[in-house]
Amino acid sequence: MNKKLGVYICHCGGNISDYIDVEKVKAAVAGEDGVYLAKTTMFACSDATQKEMVEDIRSNNLDGIVVASCSPKLHLLTFRAVSERALLNKYNYVHANIREQGSWAHSDDKAGATEKAVSLVKAAIAKVRLARSLDPIIIPSKKAVAIIGAGVAGMRAAIELADMGCPVTLVEREYFVGGRVAQWDVMFTTNQTGKELVTRLYNEVIARDNITLLTGAEVVANSGSIGDFTLKIKVTPRYMKEKCDQNNLLKAIEACPVVVPDDFNFNITSRKAIYHNFPGEFPQYPVIDIKNCTRCGECEKICSSVDFSQQEQTVEVHVGSVVMATGFDPYTPAEGEFGYKLSDFVVTLPQFKRLTDINKDNLVYNGREIRNIAYIYCVGSRQSEGDNKYCSRYCCTSAIHASLEARNKFRNVNNFHFTRGIRTYGKQELLYAESLRKGDVYLQAYEENPPLVEVKDGQITVTINDIMTGGREISVIPDLLVLVTGMVPRADNSIASKFKLPKGRDSFFNEIHMKLRPVETVIDGVTISGACQGPKNITESVNSALSAAAKSYSFVNKGELALEPIIAGIDKDLCTWCGECEKACPFDAIKKEKQGEKEIAVINNSVCKGCGMCLPVCPVNAINLIAFSDREIESMIDALVSV
Amino acid sequence: MEKKSARILVFSTEKISDPAIDMAGLLKLHYPPTVYTIAVPCSSGIKPRWIMHAYDKGFDGVFIAADGSDCTYGETCTEKTGHIVGITHQMMKEKNIDPARLRMAAICSVCSESFVKQIKSFNQYLLQSTKS
Amino acid sequence: MAENIKTANYDALVIGAGIAGGEAALNLANNGFSVLLVEKDLSIGGKMILLSKVFPTLDCAACITTPKMSEISRHHGITIFTGSEVQKVVKKSENSFEAVVIKQPRYVVEDDCTACQLCEQACPVVVKDQYQYNLVGRKAAFIPFSIASPRVAAIDIENCTLCGACEKVCPTKCIDFTMEAEEYHITAGAVIVATGFRLFDPLKIPRYGYGQYKNVLTSMEMERQLAPTRPFNTVLRPGDGKVPDKIAYVLCTGSRDATVGNPICSQICCMYSIKQAQLLMGSLPMADVTIYYINIRSFGKGFEEFYEQAKGMGVNFIKGKIGKITEKENGNLILRYEDINENKLKESEHDMVVLSVGVLPNTDAAGIFREQKLEFDHLNFVGQKDPLASPAETNIKGVFVAGTASGPMDIPDSILSAGAASSEAMRYLIRK
Repeated sequence: MNKKLGVYICHCGGNISDYIDVEKVKAAVAGEDGVYLAKTTMFACSDATQKEMVEDIRSNNLDGIVVASCSPKLHLLTFRAVSERALLNKYNYVHANIREQGSWAHSDDKAGATEKAVSLVKAAIAKVRLARSLDPIIIPSKKAVAIIGAGVAGMRAAIELADMGCPVTLVEREYFVGGRVAQWDVMFTTNQTGKELVTRLYNEVIARDNITLLTGAEVVANSGSIGDFTLKIKVTPRYMKEKCDQNNLLKAIEACPVVVPDDFNFNITSRKAIYHNFPGEFPQYPVIDIKNCTRCGECEKICSSVDFSQQEQTVEVHVGSVVMATGFDPYTPAEGEFGYKLSDFVVTLPQFKRLTDINKDNLVYNGREIRNIAYIYCVGSRQSEGDNKYCSRYCCTSAIHASLEARNKFRNVNNFHFTRGIRTYGKQELLYAESLRKGDVYLQAYEENPPLVEVKDGQITVTINDIMTGGREISVIPDLLVLVTGMVPRADNSIASKFKLPKGRDSFFNEIHMKLRPVETVIDGVTISGACQGPKNITESVNSALSAAAKSYSFVNKGELALEPIIAGIDKDLCTWCGECEKACPFDAIKKEKQGEKEIAVINNSVCKGCGMCLPVCPVNAINLIAFSDREIESMIDALVSV
Repeated sequence: MEKKSARILVFSTEKISDPAIDMAGLLKLHYPPTVYTIAVPCSSGIKPRWIMHAYDKGFDGVFIAADGSDCTYGETCTEKTGHIVGITHQMMKEKNIDPARLRMAAICSVCSESFVKQIKSFNQYLLQSTKS
Repeated sequence: MAENIKTANYDALVIGAGIAGGEAALNLANNGFSVLLVEKDLSIGGKMILLSKVFPTLDCAACITTPKMSEISRHHGITIFTGSEVQKVVKKSENSFEAVVIKQPRYVVEDDCTACQLCEQACPVVVKDQYQYNLVGRKAAFIPFSIASPRVAAIDIENCTLCGACEKVCPTKCIDFTMEAEEYHITAGAVIVATGFRLFDPLKIPRYGYGQYKNVLTSMEMERQLAPTRPFNTVLRPGDGKVPDKIAYVLCTGSRDATVGNPICSQICCMYSIKQAQLLMGSLPMADVTIYYINIRSFGKGFEEFYEQAKGMGVNFIKGKIGKITEKENGNLILRYEDINENKLKESEHDMVVLSVGVLPNTDAAGIFREQKLEFDHLNFVGQKDPLASPAETNIKGVFVAGTASGPMDIPDSILSAGAASSEAMRYLIRK
């Protein structure tokens, strides 16, 4: 059948027609086989032209259209929508990019640009001649979501989805929920404590019977794709029964002979092998750290809730979408980096925040009363030499807030801030102003001349050439030096490879587009929220968590999904199953199947992403990608050289 | 008549290198107008027979603007695209086509300048070699 | 007018159709909720649609906004009222708000206008073009700007002389001077406030000479000069039309400055100034660009790298606050400032000065909530009831805030905040 085609060539105001003779292009393609009408237009994307196209397609029963204008990245969806409004299947529209790759690229050669435009439009016509009507692939989508990480972002997303009527499995690797925020004491901007916030969210989580919370749980395998993910989750036991007598428990903890550094307090304190992070932490019953437990049985003798018979379990869940909320790690300085590990009195910001939380009336650390505190900013962030080029965003505010807390909570505290330029953006500026008002001292250096830390006979000296005072050399001998450490991606990020999530230049998980699709990843159905996408404060994390919840909800709420039908197809007659395509497919979309006498490759339409990696590896050329078949590509090549 | 510029077919990728080529236009970084682009989803899905078809029809050169490590379909892309180039080079040798008429470079989504530089040098090479 | 009151019912009412309101409306509509999107301006798209390119990716702002705006305008779940204002909102009960919306007459029948611009050519009245930040003129019969949505003419009735020239040339006879304001009574289950922000008015800092020296302009005026839909097709000094070659940026104009009543940081000015500097270096390769700053706040994803990139391109960064700007006879400007690095007072001459004006709250939504008032924070931004756990919640249950209405934000943060507001609204609507 010979198709009846319409061709539209855009002036784009003058962006195209100033360099390309659009009338000449029109004349050159008007006689092409199948071209029923060819027009030039001032703005193809304008409402008026769109209306005209719809009218043209309908009244002339066009079978296909070509639009030659700007890059298809801008208006592909616009013209697909035009086709649909005219009841023409949208895959019967083909775009030719004659602006970015035409008039603009060759504004120095008008004749050349015009000739190229003719070729590009002819190639598009060749392609549309072979185009087929396609329907989206409709797949069922399970109305359930898994959320990885039960920090503030994860819990908040869980509550949101549960209230929208969507069952949630909330998977937490640790034995307690709350993530990093649980380790926070009083927080900017509300002066709530991290514990209060976590408690509030935890209570809301357990009050909802459509949220299943798994602690000590880790995703060990993931298969399937959007609409139908199957997650295998390994749940390690706490070795404790849920109800236990608090008195006996305290005695049991006392009886435990094992003492290990407490990573909840960033190792500034120690704990036993049977422990909870702080009284009332959630879930509200303790855990036995089986890696360090010697099985001496002392605790068992005292507390009847201890249960060493509990077994590791593997749970399988089926969900339509997955929200990543795996958070961040605080940066750990290298030994010797600004005196780290060279003195017992050099701590990181998270350690300092735990210190101010744990101490009551006086700030005492390692037996020394702390009065003069120095803070060095941007440790592990904005590195000119290291890997972390980025700013960690939360640390300036967090450090100033912590220093004010120390000043307010303890007597006689003096704060000295060694900064690289304070970044208390937005309303956080008020905190900086308050700190200045209260008399904190701020000194600044640039990256090429950072403050120098010397540790001699147990005494720390921090020296800076302070640019605020014209480069004067100033030294401070603090009782405690706080390294204001930034955020880095989780050290154990094995979850990323299980989901094949891409990372950005900063090694945090990457979104598709910061402004257009900020919580989606290239893995359809997997959204990202909170600090696993990049440094964020709590408000920003929650905003992204709720955005991710809304996006994941849209994947599952209708019970089905329409997917792009540009996928690979296998010629059953040609295929002789060699397994090469299965090996090449990064998405496990190809499987061997017996069809009659022979075995052939079969493509799972809901998993295939249409990348085409299987095409060139087939020794018998049995695979073609829809819309990129040999015939289509080769006829485009023919058209390009026909001028 | 002596050719001003060589005829080059570029295989770009929809999400990564084609945006870079677009941006070259946006920045008015000029390159010869006899460079034509066909965008495909991923550079590791280019069939050697398409490349051979282009030489057959009169293209002087074929340039693969590969996804490189930015590929959204996975990190195996670079290796697979390299493999395609290897196989095609073999096919070209068998047909007595100078293997240097096929070039590949990873073009990230903002690598407009590098694209233009590569294309210009490729064009120079092709003009030189077709003259001799 | 009373007998012409129209009524309608929606799941959600979104006030403000900038990038935040638009995003929130789209999220709701894509999940099957009906939305009324009310915009007081003649086009949707807010401030973003008027920008040049956006940091840190240098995407063209229009190229991101226009596809979104066209998706919004074609979505069958979204009804758009442009040139309209929400006059009042009263909460009747949970999940039931009543709103009065006034649609001002455009004097053009939207559906019939083809944007042919013949009326524009025919109109004899020339006034300043607010969409080009008064850099050039426009007619009283005009299309707001070339990528406006809807791209439909309007009559600026305040400046129109009623000569009738436009009516005569209009090929579709869509100009109608008999149009009147229409009153709508709306019921909605939830409300999203996305009223955005205002820009600081530099007339409040007379020592910078804005309004007095022609070559001192605001960053938004520069933004228009750099945009694809820009007025001059290059960057020009307003004073004499000369292409500038020594341009200065004055950061924190009206931000971090208690003396003008705005003690907070505007969060976006460092980055947009760095962006403009990069664009200027691109379009005027010989130009010299200097940014005077207190602290550079490039805190977001990819921002620090963007700042480093600008330094690499040769943008000068000088740590110092500007004391005073004076004008020379040739229109050049002398900046007096304290150079912090060298600890001394200095002067330097530039032929164009851009004031990086800050973000101020928009209090438009203050008066419209009757009976139960909408609370604002002490800085006059819409108050967040629970900023840590539910940043979009306001003091009124069922009313949510999106984007810069609650405080300064860049575009990615506005979009995430809009995502949160729409999510909370959906939850509220489903839970009832």
